[in-house]
Amino acid sequence: MSALPWSVALWLFAIGFYGMITSRHYVHLIGCLSVMQSGTYVLLLSAGFRWGAGPPVFADHPPGTPAVDPVVQALVLTDIVVGAAVTALLLALALQLHKRRGTLDPEELRPMRR
Amino acid sequence: MSRRARGILAAIAALALAPGALAVVRAMPPLGDHPLPYGDAVNRVAPAERAVSNMVTAVNFDLRGFDTLGEEVMLLAAVVGAVVVLRGARGEGVGDRPARCGSRPIPPRSDAVVLLCRMTAPLTLIYGLYVVLHAALTPGGGFQGGAIIGSGLVLVWLGEGYNAWRRMVPGVVLHALEGGGAGLYALAGFGAMLTGAAYLANMLPLGDWGSILSGGMIPVVNFGVGLAVSGAFGMLFLEFLEETREPEKGEEQ
Repeated sequence: MSALPWSVALWLFAIGFYGMITSRHYVHLIGCLSVMQSGTYVLLLSAGFRWGAGPPVFADHPPGTPAVDPVVQALVLTDIVVGAAVTALLLALALQLHKRRGTLDPEELRPMRR
Repeated sequence: MSRRARGILAAIAALALAPGALAVVRAMPPLGDHPLPYGDAVNRVAPAERAVSNMVTAVNFDLRGFDTLGEEVMLLAAVVGAVVVLRGARGEGVGDRPARCGSRPIPPRSDAVVLLCRMTAPLTLIYGLYVVLHAALTPGGGFQGGAIIGSGLVLVWLGEGYNAWRRMVPGVVLHALEGGGAGLYALAGFGAMLTGAAYLANMLPLGDWGSILSGGMIPVVNFGVGLAVSGAFGMLFLEFLEETREPEKGEEQ
């Protein structure tokens, strides 16, 4: 039981990686990259978890009550922002690629094959 | 490399890495039952020192505010990159011609969608603004609220269509939001330097516990991030939407 979140993080990373290797479409590949990144969210949030603790927001309970780790939550926030920005940039590149070459299959897009 | 060779290579790599990964999973500390020294230090120090109740905001905009500036600049760089990649004259002209997706015309909106979007879009925008402004108090902050405002802009498009959306949300406003928000964050740091303190040091009065303006510099930089993120989402959305327009005569593809 205590290994469950780490296993989930590993599984998400591995299944995203498998999807990237076998991908036949760049948009699918970008989705797989997001799945891989979700593994890091699970890993970070689980690392900051504590049984019986509340959220690290002391708006409705006084400071000093047990709370989970806010540092990893801030890191996950950064992680999500970076993921969203990278996904947007990659999708823009995929769009241009489709306009230039008419396909998004990685196999069809060898640099030397015209 | 053929697909088959790539699969075999990946399987070999996975077999080599699996024992190490499983050993790491087994060696990780038990879930929820190990010391959290940094988190406990933040939870102890930040409410007293910064008068804010949301510790995640305190970490993001004060304790590691300089890192968040880097994150903000990274978001700016990624958005500028996407805009440059997609830039073209296509879709700039606001005409009455229907949008097409390839050769397939996009069907007109139903009245139910228009009604629903007109009801939910303003509420979503106001909720996003609320999440941005209450960063120091309750869960949320500039990044989350900015993303909600971006979703509100999408709802405006869904209800009103492309042409009305372009008139209501001019690109120059989105550019000003994105650049101005990031600039506000960076300039706030220099403002602290004018008083002789370090870059991004929290020099403003901290305010009262539970007040929307508590936290000194935190509401200022958080508002900058909120502006920049809503501008960034709006810009990305605008550039992707322009791609759905049929190019007019003489426009590049």
